[in-house]
Amino acid sequence: MSILVSAKDLVKKFGSLTAVDGISFEIREAECFGFLGPNGAGKTTTVRMIHCVSPVTGGTLIVNGLPAHINNRALKKMTGVIPQEIALDNDLTVYENLIVFAHFFDIPKREAKKRIAELLKFVELEAKRNSKIDALSTGMKRRLLVARALLNNPKLIVADEPTTGLDPQARHLIWQRLRQLKSQGVTLILTTQYMEEAQQLCDRIVIMHQGKILKEGLPSKLVEEEIGREVVEVRIPKEEDEKIIQQLSSFSCGHERVGDTLYFYCRDGQGLMKRLIELDLHNYLTRPATLEDVFLKLTGRGLIE
Amino acid sequence: MNLSYRIYYVFLRNLVSYKRFVVPTFLVSLVEPLFYLITFGIGMGAYMGQFGGKPYLYFLVPGVLVSSVMMSSTFECLYGTFVKMIHEKLYDSLIATPVSAEDAVAGDIAWAVFRGLVSGSLMMLVAILMGILPGSLISSLLLLLLMIFVGILFASLAMIVTSVSPSFDFFNYYTELIITPMLFFSGVFFPLDRFPAWMKTLSNFMPLTHAVKISRAVFSGEYESGLILNFLVILVLEMIAFYIGIKMMKKRLIK
Repeated sequence: MSILVSAKDLVKKFGSLTAVDGISFEIREAECFGFLGPNGAGKTTTVRMIHCVSPVTGGTLIVNGLPAHINNRALKKMTGVIPQEIALDNDLTVYENLIVFAHFFDIPKREAKKRIAELLKFVELEAKRNSKIDALSTGMKRRLLVARALLNNPKLIVADEPTTGLDPQARHLIWQRLRQLKSQGVTLILTTQYMEEAQQLCDRIVIMHQGKILKEGLPSKLVEEEIGREVVEVRIPKEEDEKIIQQLSSFSCGHERVGDTLYFYCRDGQGLMKRLIELDLHNYLTRPATLEDVFLKLTGRGLIE
Repeated sequence: MNLSYRIYYVFLRNLVSYKRFVVPTFLVSLVEPLFYLITFGIGMGAYMGQFGGKPYLYFLVPGVLVSSVMMSSTFECLYGTFVKMIHEKLYDSLIATPVSAEDAVAGDIAWAVFRGLVSGSLMMLVAILMGILPGSLISSLLLLLLMIFVGILFASLAMIVTSVSPSFDFFNYYTELIITPMLFFSGVFFPLDRFPAWMKTLSNFMPLTHAVKISRAVFSGEYESGLILNFLVILVLEMIAFYIGIKMMKKRLIK
């Protein structure tokens, strides 16, 4: 499969602050590529450079064979952006928001009207066609942002935390639509803090932290490699750690202490659980390992602000 | 300067949104000139006698015409643009499309010029209905043209202020310390010849002074060669302001 986006030693600085610190990655055509990371990791800054609204400080960034640059109208024309903030035009109705945006892409009026009708159906907003933006729920606004990003039939869609603040129904609808687009051959770049979202949508992910890429790979493989299959959380006082770890050493599980909990990362948690019961410890929990464990292991379980 | 025909699309966006405000803004644009013309023109005019052989209103109207253009285009590029930039994040959405930051800012300037033109023409209409007629039809058309030049100048100057403004409050410095004094020191309401020399010099540094001079000459149809200089001042100043305004806004928009 051919490469749509390729970054090499990409750097972005804001004054003395380095937001993106020499990262390299490649995004293939028709895949969903996810940038995961805590707040301030550099995800949004990276995708803003990809969709040409923020200048590159250093390194190279090639999109669809062209260098990404703020004056690159050709790249902007083939890209659809679902922004993190709900940046809709509050003075206009739902329909007007879309028709005005269609102008910006030089879409002829007749074609635009047809496209808008299709898109309103696609995001299930037909009934709100003439509503003002204030009258929409957050979910509807986000869906309208999705429709707006699709007006120009983009080859590349950049979705920057597209489901922030949504209820489960609205979130699943957006996920379904994004998967549908991907199946039509659109390349999707996603940034998210929701691990479930990354697992639902992404073929490959990178985990970013403090401007650097910590890991790259398939979501399921990353979990397996970094954590194993299961996580056993044991809530015991810290003083007992050493004793317990020794008692459980035969199971060759990795372990980590965070706050009030001792975590065991296991390929198979069954044996370890049995042993915990024998040891008469009750305050434990066993669950499948998730991307969230990988994320927290790599970026640290402490608060990042 | 990465400017393109897409300026028109940005203008069009403003026009679509304007539909909702058109009645109140037209009312304001009509009531404000009436207010000026009645209080100053008729009230004060009664004490003023003749100005160059004509009633005071003939002196007042051309000045008020250009100052209303100044006010409208200034406020549009201060408050209007600021709301779109900061509160509605409209510029962020715009620059993610093939519309460049320069297109977006120039589109807003074009819109502000249009708003100024609307205010100025309504004012002219009111004056005509009151019987204060421009010298000829050509005078009226030239006045409309002048309004466009004055609009570009003040819209661009306001853009520079907006580009560095942290909040709405900041605009007060500009409107209270620069725009309002300009209204009184540019010969809109009374002639400048009785001012002390230093004030006359000062008024020459105010762009509105030059606009008022041209407006008055065009209105009456009594031209003189010095007007070319007045026009050059406006033209050069607005080209500089337009360039700087767009550059500074771009700096704020693209990070």
